Amino acid sequence: MKQNFLEIITMNGQASIQDLGRLNAQHLGFSASGAADEFAFLSANQLIANKLSIKPVHSIAKTNNKLANDAAIEITLGQISFKANAACTIAITGADCQAKINNVTINNWQCHQLLAGDIIDFAMPKTQLHSYLTILGGFTCQTAQQPWLGSLAQTVNEMALGFTGEALRVGSKLYFSTKNQPLAEATLTQQTQLASLKANRPTTAPALFYPQQKLTLRVMPSRLFLQMSSAQQQQFLTTEYVISPDSNRMGYRLQVKPPQTSSPSPDKKILTQPLRSQCLLSMPVTYGMVQFPENEQPIILMKERQTMGGYPVLGTVMQTDLFRLSQMRPGAEVAFTLITYPQAQQQLRAFYQKLY
Amino acid sequence: MVSNNRERINAKVSNSTEHGVNFTIDLVAENALLLSWQAKISLTQHNEIIALQAMITQQLGELIIETVASYHCLMVYYCPQLSSSLQVIDKINRVAKNASHKNSNGDEQDNNPNNKLAHQAAHEHCIKIPVYYDREQEWDLADVAKRCNMSMDEVIKQHSAHTYHGYALGFTPGFCYLASLPESLQLPRKSSPRIKVPKGAVAIAEQQSAIYPIESPGGWHIIGQTPLPMYESHHGQFNASIQVGQNVQFYAISKAEFLALEQGLAE
Repeated sequence: MKQNFLEIITMNGQASIQDLGRLNAQHLGFSASGAADEFAFLSANQLIANKLSIKPVHSIAKTNNKLANDAAIEITLGQISFKANAACTIAITGADCQAKINNVTINNWQCHQLLAGDIIDFAMPKTQLHSYLTILGGFTCQTAQQPWLGSLAQTVNEMALGFTGEALRVGSKLYFSTKNQPLAEATLTQQTQLASLKANRPTTAPALFYPQQKLTLRVMPSRLFLQMSSAQQQQFLTTEYVISPDSNRMGYRLQVKPPQTSSPSPDKKILTQPLRSQCLLSMPVTYGMVQFPENEQPIILMKERQTMGGYPVLGTVMQTDLFRLSQMRPGAEVAFTLITYPQAQQQLRAFYQKLY
Repeated sequence: MVSNNRERINAKVSNSTEHGVNFTIDLVAENALLLSWQAKISLTQHNEIIALQAMITQQLGELIIETVASYHCLMVYYCPQLSSSLQVIDKINRVAKNASHKNSNGDEQDNNPNNKLAHQAAHEHCIKIPVYYDREQEWDLADVAKRCNMSMDEVIKQHSAHTYHGYALGFTPGFCYLASLPESLQLPRKSSPRIKVPKGAVAIAEQQSAIYPIESPGGWHIIGQTPLPMYESHHGQFNASIQVGQNVQFYAISKAEFLALEQGLAE
């Protein structure tokens, strides 16, 4: 079968192949990785599925081979352009990069038709970070790329291992996965007919999902947090933080927001030495855990997190807030508030019911 | 406000010590449970954790997405669409109780002399790791010596005199947590982690030593570097050079030896 692809012709930001991640290789030390913003990623795949009138086939227990999990191109801070070597239907979501097809501006959060030779260009977004470009069946970065341990997701720290293709750069070809190729390349007429039957909108409005102002992260408290005094808990929950420039897909580092007035900030430690000394041994860590190093500047573990960590953990930010956080830039303000485990589980269940 | 909600939000959901099961289970995410034993480095306890990990994986089937073990913890990722967290906790407790019941009736495997021999052989085999303990670079050997109140030579001597045991694989592919470091070398982690630690960096923190297999961030004190790769991969397989349960020793090499070995491996 002929292999069709999008070729990167210019690139000034970052881009990688992402799906829902490599969830069952953490015992070997592999990062779970995956799309930073699952809302935008799943919306992109849902748009494609709706456009082509395809009913996703779900096997809830196994996250692989699911339409919702088709690998997309995650573009960070735009500034990339692709040339199509074959006709295809794509969807674009996430940070608004004022995308253009052959210099004509197109809408974000929609499907678009590309013809062979078309050029799609993404500018730097004015707000947010990550955009998603997907196609039916997903992309791979090599012609016969098989998922590595259940996923095509690329991880910066693991690129040297060579299991997930090369890091994307000018000249990289993003192949259409062969699993749905005939449909992905359906003729324009066929696709236009299908499209007329379906609304070209995601089921959940992006404007309602992303916070307009400061993001208050809902955190499930750890056992360590519950051992802290009420005063210490309150101090953590009332501290205002700013996202540090050192933040990335691996972790978001926060800094205590400098006080507005000249009143001295409390120099009392949030985590006392006796409690800190309980946490000396490295242990497995998961998505959203709030690590609390000795400098008391929290680190929130994101998609490309390591599998083990040694810093004390105050709690875990609920996943749907992590998708929101992943789109926030350094300098933005965040704070924490508590949520119960059942409430967080309910939020995530509702999220997947809409987008899976 | 927080203390009033304490019952409702309490993460601690199970404490099974009275049943001969020595761990607690905490919810730690929408889809993850953390089993915690006593916070100590103990071979006996570690063997118990690894055994339970195998049984959970085997007996709970597709309910379990992944398990990750460490010194005193076992992270269990489950499928929340298939079962509630309380049901999973209940099932894990039952697996553990059955296991402890079997153990108290005498574990057949441990009485098998062949298994015992294989077990011994695995433990006696010792992986030798060459290390260039770098006195000149911007890394932490001098700082460690100062903080431990000894000379750099003494740090090298103590670090390489000891035999370590692999307790967990994680952090990045092929990173094996080795313990226990001599007490005289034990320091807290750096207050803020480095953004980049080089491949092959030999580092220490608390009771542990380890080698960074690939360039990554890291919060441990770097005292040297090895030219040896920490993993090998071919035909879609991934093998860590140091595996959980193996023994490891370090030995000092010169900068010239380091460069020669590095070049030899690259060819």
